[in-house]
Amino acid sequence: MRVAVIGAGVIGLSTAQSIYEQYHSIISPLTIEVYADRFTPLTTSDGAAGFWQPYLYDKGKVQETKWNKETFDYLLSCLSSPESVQMGIFLQSGYNLCTEPATEPSFKDIVLGFRQLTERELQLFPGYNHGWFNTALMVEGKTYLPWLMDWLQKRGVNFHHRKIESFQELVETGADVIINCTGMRSGELQPDPELKPGRGQIIKVDAPWLKHWILTHNFTNGVYNSPYIIPGSRLVTVGGIFQLGDWSENPNYTDHKRIWEAACKLEPSLKHARIVEDWAGLRPVRSKVRLERETIQSGATNVEVIHNYGHGGFGLTIHRGCAQEAARLFGQIVEQKRTGPKARL
Amino acid sequence: MKSVRVVVVGAGVVGFSTAVCIAEALPLCSVSLLAEKFSPDTTSDGAAGIALTAEFPDIPLERQRRWFKNSFDHLLDIAQSERSPGAGVMLTSGWQIFKNVPADKKPLWSEFVIGFRFMTDGELKRFPDHKFGQAFTTIKCECSSYLPWLHQRFVKAGGRVEQRKVNSLQELNGYDVIVNCSGLGSEKLVRDTEVYPIRGQVLKVEAPWLQHFIRDGDGKTYIYPGIHSVTIGGTRQEGDWRLQVDEGESKRIVERCSALEPSISKASVLSQWVGLRPGRRNPRVEREVVQLRGRRVPVVHNYGHGGFGVTLAWGTALDALGLVRQCLHEMPQQAKL
Repeated sequence: MRVAVIGAGVIGLSTAQSIYEQYHSIISPLTIEVYADRFTPLTTSDGAAGFWQPYLYDKGKVQETKWNKETFDYLLSCLSSPESVQMGIFLQSGYNLCTEPATEPSFKDIVLGFRQLTERELQLFPGYNHGWFNTALMVEGKTYLPWLMDWLQKRGVNFHHRKIESFQELVETGADVIINCTGMRSGELQPDPELKPGRGQIIKVDAPWLKHWILTHNFTNGVYNSPYIIPGSRLVTVGGIFQLGDWSENPNYTDHKRIWEAACKLEPSLKHARIVEDWAGLRPVRSKVRLERETIQSGATNVEVIHNYGHGGFGLTIHRGCAQEAARLFGQIVEQKRTGPKARL
Repeated sequence: MKSVRVVVVGAGVVGFSTAVCIAEALPLCSVSLLAEKFSPDTTSDGAAGIALTAEFPDIPLERQRRWFKNSFDHLLDIAQSERSPGAGVMLTSGWQIFKNVPADKKPLWSEFVIGFRFMTDGELKRFPDHKFGQAFTTIKCECSSYLPWLHQRFVKAGGRVEQRKVNSLQELNGYDVIVNCSGLGSEKLVRDTEVYPIRGQVLKVEAPWLQHFIRDGDGKTYIYPGIHSVTIGGTRQEGDWRLQVDEGESKRIVERCSALEPSISKASVLSQWVGLRPGRRNPRVEREVVQLRGRRVPVVHNYGHGGFGVTLAWGTALDALGLVRQCLHEMPQQAKL
């Protein structure tokens, strides 16, 4: 069976991994090819801080919370493996700060040591009067993606540096199943009015004395439009921009100034940090993640497509749960093909 | 008008903290600091500098609590400000874990650090050999930055620094008050037979992905991520004066730390270091009067902090300042003018 994965961000690569893991000994031959016009370090996943945390509230999307938990548990188990450093996975604790009392987040039972902030801790953050402390995970895209590519390459997965313009194009190469992990640009393959860019801009700085992430939440401004500071293994990501509908991938000075002033107010020691670079990326925002099968008619044939896109600002957070689910959908397709046309009468 | 001449002996964290406290609080004193060794060659320089402490048997608990609280509040103030990176003082969170449940689950400092609580079962899963743990946020104070920072502050307050080995108090002519912060050196300087070295060996490794400290409650195995490297250790060898690195000991440290944090085995070693903690049953923070060439000179002692010098420096310095004030109070009038 030939599987074509479109997209080499964290979603595309991890879905290829899950399919390989679950089916390479069951289906023979199983050929997996990954097509993308952007590879690490140029994908959206690479620019992200790599911090595991879903939005505060899942608003009833319990399936997504389940996938987030599955990802967290998976990454936690990888921590003790000898490859944890090469995977770019490590623990980090920190603060979620609110300007008003708020309901506890959907991830409170997933992370480690979740608790309310003490009075003393709130005094460290003037202007914020409520919040939580917990230990979560970091999974840095710039390290994790190369590790995934290496993992896949070792197992015979081929990579093609080319932009796919249509599903039909892949049918012509002989693909039996297409996995659509095209993130922000899924609309170019199949129009989707629910998919919109959630533009983000960040500043990467050198401030190695910072060891905690600090996320602030302003329920009026909305998610990610409030300053956040997320230390990584080498640099600290400073951000707080979420512009829905803005397609610009270039960082601009107005946003830089806004981010910087807000962050320095939150963490005065940043004044001494060396600014290394600015970056902007488009979060593939959707009302909910599109993770489902679709049979697409392509000329005389039908091709099975599994969509796995629209992960907003939580792609790294949810990737493994979604990849495993996509592999499960793949399994359904395999089963159907096995039992053949007779079963469809 | 002759101002009171105070001399502080010792340029480690206790010496400089005490000197700064005196110089800033008593501008009418002229304060000098003398020492043989300065940063980066003091015992304080190699210490990871994590604020937590043991309980001393003979000092009233209230006083020990005050020492810790004053030190912690002083360092926290720096950590939360713009001065943090320059002073080498930062917040650090992590876990202290125990193979056997300790008798004292809530040590005296637990109310002064931030967010102190017991570890959850989920958190303890990562440490299968350990049955109990404490999670909290405390301060890390890196003396390689903090000592030069204190030095600057001391000079700004009018202090004078001189590099000079003091072999006996008798050499300290021309001072009205002597403040002894000579750490392990007090064994010779004031002939304190109760002072003994507690040898500690550590490695500095490169593991920038580590964000939490992990410390075994026995104090012999610990991982302390710092600004530019991670300090792993250690040893507590009482009466051991050896300053050379013991390679076998290093190997064992890496093994023990890797057992707690597997990724340590992937970390490259940047340097190794040995320091002799100034061990004593209790820190000596008290005053006495000595005969120096026909004069009765008050001496304030502030030494013997064992492995908790960084943790208790500021708090004991404030106590020492109080003792210096008492000395000034009792001085004959002409010396104070």
